Amino acid sequence: MKIEGEYLFDGPREEVWKLVRDPEVLATCVPGIQTVNKVNDSEFTGEIALKIGPLGGTFGGRVTVSNEVAPESCTLTVEGSGKIGFLKGIGHVVLSEQPGSKTLMKYSGEAQIGGKVASVGQRLFESVSKGMVKQGLDKLNEILKQRSAA
Amino acid sequence: MDRKLIGKRVVRNEDPRLLTGHAQFVDDVQLPGMLHAAFLRSEYAHARLLKVDVSKARQHKGVVAVFTAEDMGKDWQPGPPLVSPPPTVKDVVFHSRRQVPLAKDKVRHAGEAIAVVIAESRYIAEDAVEEIEVEYEPLPVVLDLEKALEPGSPLVHDDLDSNLAARLYQKKGDYEAARQQADVIVKRRIYIERGAAAAMENRGIVAHWDAQSEHLTIWDTTQAPIPIRNGTAARLGLSEHQVRVIAPYIGGGFGPKIMMFYPEEMVIPWAAMKLNRPVKWIEDRRENFYATTQERGQIHDVEMALTRDGRVLGLKDDFLHDTGAYDPYGLTIPLNTQSHNMGGYDIRNYSSEFKVVFTNRIIATPVRGAGRPHGIFVIERMMDAAARELGMDPVELRKRNLIPPDAFPYEHQIIDQAFAPLILDSGNYKAVVDKALEMIGYEKFIKEEQPRLRREGKYVGIGVVPFIETTGVGPYEGARVTVEASGKVNVATGIGTQGQGHFTSFAQVVAEQLGVKVSDVRIVTGDTSEFHWGTGTFASRGAVVAGNAVYAAAKSVRQKVLKLASKVLEAPEEELELGDGMVRVADIPQKAISLGELAVLANPLRGAVEAGTEPGLESTSYYGPQYGATAFGTHAMILEVDPETMMIKIRRYVVAEDCGTVLNPLILEGQIHGGVSMGLGNAYYEKLHMDENGQLLNASFADYLLVSSTEMPHIEVAHLETPSPLNELGAKGVGEAGAIPVPALFAQALENAFQERKLEILEMPLSPNRLFELLKDRQAVE
Repeated sequence: MKIEGEYLFDGPREEVWKLVRDPEVLATCVPGIQTVNKVNDSEFTGEIALKIGPLGGTFGGRVTVSNEVAPESCTLTVEGSGKIGFLKGIGHVVLSEQPGSKTLMKYSGEAQIGGKVASVGQRLFESVSKGMVKQGLDKLNEILKQRSAA
Repeated sequence: MDRKLIGKRVVRNEDPRLLTGHAQFVDDVQLPGMLHAAFLRSEYAHARLLKVDVSKARQHKGVVAVFTAEDMGKDWQPGPPLVSPPPTVKDVVFHSRRQVPLAKDKVRHAGEAIAVVIAESRYIAEDAVEEIEVEYEPLPVVLDLEKALEPGSPLVHDDLDSNLAARLYQKKGDYEAARQQADVIVKRRIYIERGAAAAMENRGIVAHWDAQSEHLTIWDTTQAPIPIRNGTAARLGLSEHQVRVIAPYIGGGFGPKIMMFYPEEMVIPWAAMKLNRPVKWIEDRRENFYATTQERGQIHDVEMALTRDGRVLGLKDDFLHDTGAYDPYGLTIPLNTQSHNMGGYDIRNYSSEFKVVFTNRIIATPVRGAGRPHGIFVIERMMDAAARELGMDPVELRKRNLIPPDAFPYEHQIIDQAFAPLILDSGNYKAVVDKALEMIGYEKFIKEEQPRLRREGKYVGIGVVPFIETTGVGPYEGARVTVEASGKVNVATGIGTQGQGHFTSFAQVVAEQLGVKVSDVRIVTGDTSEFHWGTGTFASRGAVVAGNAVYAAAKSVRQKVLKLASKVLEAPEEELELGDGMVRVADIPQKAISLGELAVLANPLRGAVEAGTEPGLESTSYYGPQYGATAFGTHAMILEVDPETMMIKIRRYVVAEDCGTVLNPLILEGQIHGGVSMGLGNAYYEKLHMDENGQLLNASFADYLLVSSTEMPHIEVAHLETPSPLNELGAKGVGEAGAIPVPALFAQALENAFQERKLEILEMPLSPNRLFELLKDRQAVE
């Protein structure tokens, strides 16, 4: 399954980059994240609670950041599994400066899910994940605006 | 003899129990101390099992046991082969790889069972399943039939050189020579997928080991209790007489409930013995989607050679068949396809090779039709393509090629699914085509209605598709008929019943012979303690094979009744008549005795049974056909397509069918209606969607679209009767007939509705979406 999109942040690229690379911040933004632990600068583990249609459950997983070109782009690899199935994904994020001190984020990636979550949830997974990304990025933008205002 | 009951519209004996909720299904079985099982199933379609850690699950409160393949030790054995490879065909390749009780080392399809938890309740068992930790090493997935056979493809079975499960070539006449003589060669590539059987009742098993009597009782939603009993006894080292398999009322079989030896059928009885406690497992709907067998895809490369005036000289069809991860059911499905590829047509030259391919999908075994719908789809699509190429009316082209009534028995010179010569025993194929044309008003529709509706902007199309169905295959079935002291009759047979109305149709056969009420005949099916020998309910064979055994036993009991009554009433047998539960002397009605009294006399309390005779008004008979009887029919439909939404409305649906002697038209029509609904699903609604990783994406009825009452048309059925010369009843099977021609018919009617757009359909199933795409492609071509 492909995940693709873009988002315009109301703040400079350096600031957006800082937020994106801060697991503490991400933990508050991504809906359902319960814990985030930093293994090293480019590797994090954590738990996320997901609700997809009739299914709900906790996924434990690992996020690895690679190909990092600060403050411009990086690749995220996600691997998670839980009682309702497994999830694997790889995504590429690119930030570009926009006029008026704004930042455009473009993301594209591919996700694979298996187990119960695939057999009854895949049809819903796309819309659920889109919703989560949108919610998460909105929250991130909020934080960004709060910080620039401060 | 005069037919008093056979062929009559008798209401069903079983319905009061079913409709008032008194019929026992497997899940109704409740035993003291019964435990409940839940299975851990693979999340991956193809992966090595590096570690299966069940330690946490074992500690879960209420869990009695957790078993993996390792825990089964020597008892871990693959299931038995259900059918053997064909011995009579030259150069056949067949690699038998059977499903296992619990996966060891490697999983080969998503949903394959890895471990079982047995607990005090199903809730606990399900929770504990989630505590099992499995470490997988995902492997590349084999899904595409053509890529699977390419060198270097990942292998489903590592010990084989390729994913080729089987190859078989059959020919009749000389296709190449026919090709040389032909005026026209039509070539097409055809894809056909089928779907889930989706029986209303999922599978279920209860096993109860009584250690004191050393007796194992199994309630199982199987279509074939006797093979399950025999196989279970062999697996567990018991005598067949220590195992009783009961297939009680079952909510639909359709093929996948055959004598599979599903992992659960191997594991549950074993666990019940091991734990010395009754164990129940009831499949849930999601499991049914990826743990119950399905029927699936084939890719055909077909060529038809014709003369300019529409005579089919020959047919060539090479095809691939997807068997899934294992092939316990051998070659039944592709052989059925191969032997239905010529339909009811007099085709003298035929060449066909099929290759069966292992893939990382659920096992494919017969589903209502069992490869026959594929064969009929292929030949009928080719007929329509040829008719367009020749500029001929499609019905006329078909009529020119139908096997004429005087050509029976018609030998096709190839073998069928039972490895017997494919011989069409009897038929009048043109009669059912003409009947269907008359019922649907073909000429009038084509000449008047269709042009008028088209002018009104409506897309309305007609289809007419004849088909054949090989039915009633061997090896044999048996039945025992007993008149009891009450005057009522008990009949036992070895087959199982999943809704076919056996409790009524068999009772009619017996009641007619013995002169009793149909409701006074009690039929027992699916209980191995009631009848020891038999095979099962599949291949549209129950009414033919078991029906004829019942008929023979009933006639034999009738002879015993007449013989004894003749002595008691002091009148010659020829002067006796049976009716209303009595035997009477024809001209002296007061000289009579009831069947019950005769039954008592036949089982004397004092004195001996006369030398050379047996006690009781009872007889056991067997019937095994030389080869199967071939039923046939023609379906016709008029459908309307909404050009905006591509939704379909079926305006007319007619069926002219001939399954030989009709036992009960009510039951027969029920079978046809059910078959048509499955056929419509196969044509336009049902499709199992898998992603590129072999994950089934629509494993629920929210996403997998079954035909419901709103899609079902009113079906008009006409019966023609060409009795089979192969059995005394003259019967042929009909269980699968309704489903077989529907995808071909649907495709033809759609093409007819969009004839101006030159729509051609070479795939099934379709959907509104897919039809929209195909029409868009046509526009692009134009």
